[in-house]
Amino acid sequence: MNQKLENILNECLEQMLNGESIEGCLKAYPEQASELEPLLKTSLVFIQKSSAIQPAPEFKARVNSRLQAMFYAQQEKAKKRARIPIWYRRWALAMTAILGFLLIGVGTVAASAYALPDEPLYPVKLAGEQVRLTLASSDMDKAKLHIQFAERRAIEIAGMACQGKGDRISVLTEQFANHLNQIYKAEKKEEITERGPKAPAAASALPEEAEAFDEGEGTEELKIMLSNSREKSLYILENALGKTPQATKPGLQQAIEDIREDYDETLSKVEIGSSQ
Amino acid sequence: MSIEKDVVSRAIKGDGEAFAQLYEEHFDRIYRYVYLKVGNQIEAEDLTQEIFVKALEAIGSYKWRNLPFNSWLFRIAHNRVIDYFRKQGKVEKVALEDDITLVSESNPALTAERELEIEELIKNVEKLSPAQSEVISLRFGSELSTTEVAKVLGKNTGTVKALQYNAIVALRKMLSGGSKI
Repeated sequence: MNQKLENILNECLEQMLNGESIEGCLKAYPEQASELEPLLKTSLVFIQKSSAIQPAPEFKARVNSRLQAMFYAQQEKAKKRARIPIWYRRWALAMTAILGFLLIGVGTVAASAYALPDEPLYPVKLAGEQVRLTLASSDMDKAKLHIQFAERRAIEIAGMACQGKGDRISVLTEQFANHLNQIYKAEKKEEITERGPKAPAAASALPEEAEAFDEGEGTEELKIMLSNSREKSLYILENALGKTPQATKPGLQQAIEDIREDYDETLSKVEIGSSQ
Repeated sequence: MSIEKDVVSRAIKGDGEAFAQLYEEHFDRIYRYVYLKVGNQIEAEDLTQEIFVKALEAIGSYKWRNLPFNSWLFRIAHNRVIDYFRKQGKVEKVALEDDITLVSESNPALTAERELEIEELIKNVEKLSPAQSEVISLRFGSELSTTEVAKVLGKNTGTVKALQYNAIVALRKMLSGGSKI
């Protein structure tokens, strides 16, 4: 009974938010009208009072200008970044990463490997991943690390879901997708390095990149890694469904669908890339 | 491709005008949601600004999937509000300020009356459970649909409808104590 009333109330609210009057809603549900009326009136009072909350126009304008400035600064930075040679950027990042490693301590980094997003060591885990990515000697190595880290995100999603922390799932799913996006980018870059004309300066600066994978070998390895990772991640996530509280299940189910889609999309991109 | 999808796609690719359009469409609703949650104009302004800065930084990684842009943006807002309460070291307890400032009205008496109404509104939201207050702020403050609220909160629509129903029943009891509904 209550569930029916919850649905009717919701339907009426949707209509009211779209301009329908309370009377109009009540006419559609004469049997429930006596129960609905006070609830709809309360809702209307609330909707009307809430609509009086408006940001001050000068505040809105101030934020808008700040965002515009940030936006153009980002564009400029991207342009400038594109002008700095890749080998120089890598060298600077590697130095920063080594320093970070020394400061944090190798033991702490190792202990953080199983940390979940709401645990104190989690930022260390992410920083450790960043360091490993920075130190990766080739784009193919980077792609492999991204597969590994994507798998970690999937395990974290399962962990958070089992604890009923549904609000973390979507953020982790986005991070998972970002890792897989990077795989494709790295793989694509490697393909270009493999097949395209090599600039002499870049070849001498990055000997490990110049030492390209045998035609197709790297891509094949990547495909196998991705398939294994897909199987493992989906197994863990589907297993977690049974241990997840009812309220968090839809979020987890959505994440599983997204992750499956991401794996398949990345696999097909890698395949298309290798067949071109 | 829908208009919103087109605008979002352009913003992802770095089109400043498209981002400005999204800003214009969502700013007021995000602000209202945050205000209802924190009950303080200065904090609401700071948080709203941070939410949009975060959205600008993260929009490049947004993937359309089945998640509408609306839900993505409100999820950033929801997470930021949770962080805010966590940092404050308190349960979601609204700090009501003495002088709530609304959009300037030409009639000071009307403005004062509205301010009182808002203050009462926020006090009532504060009395709800955190989950109920979240649903009510997103539904009535930001006018999101039940499906969108469910996506923001990572809950199913049935749970959201039940929370909404119970919240309205609780609000009715509170309001009927003070006024005739």
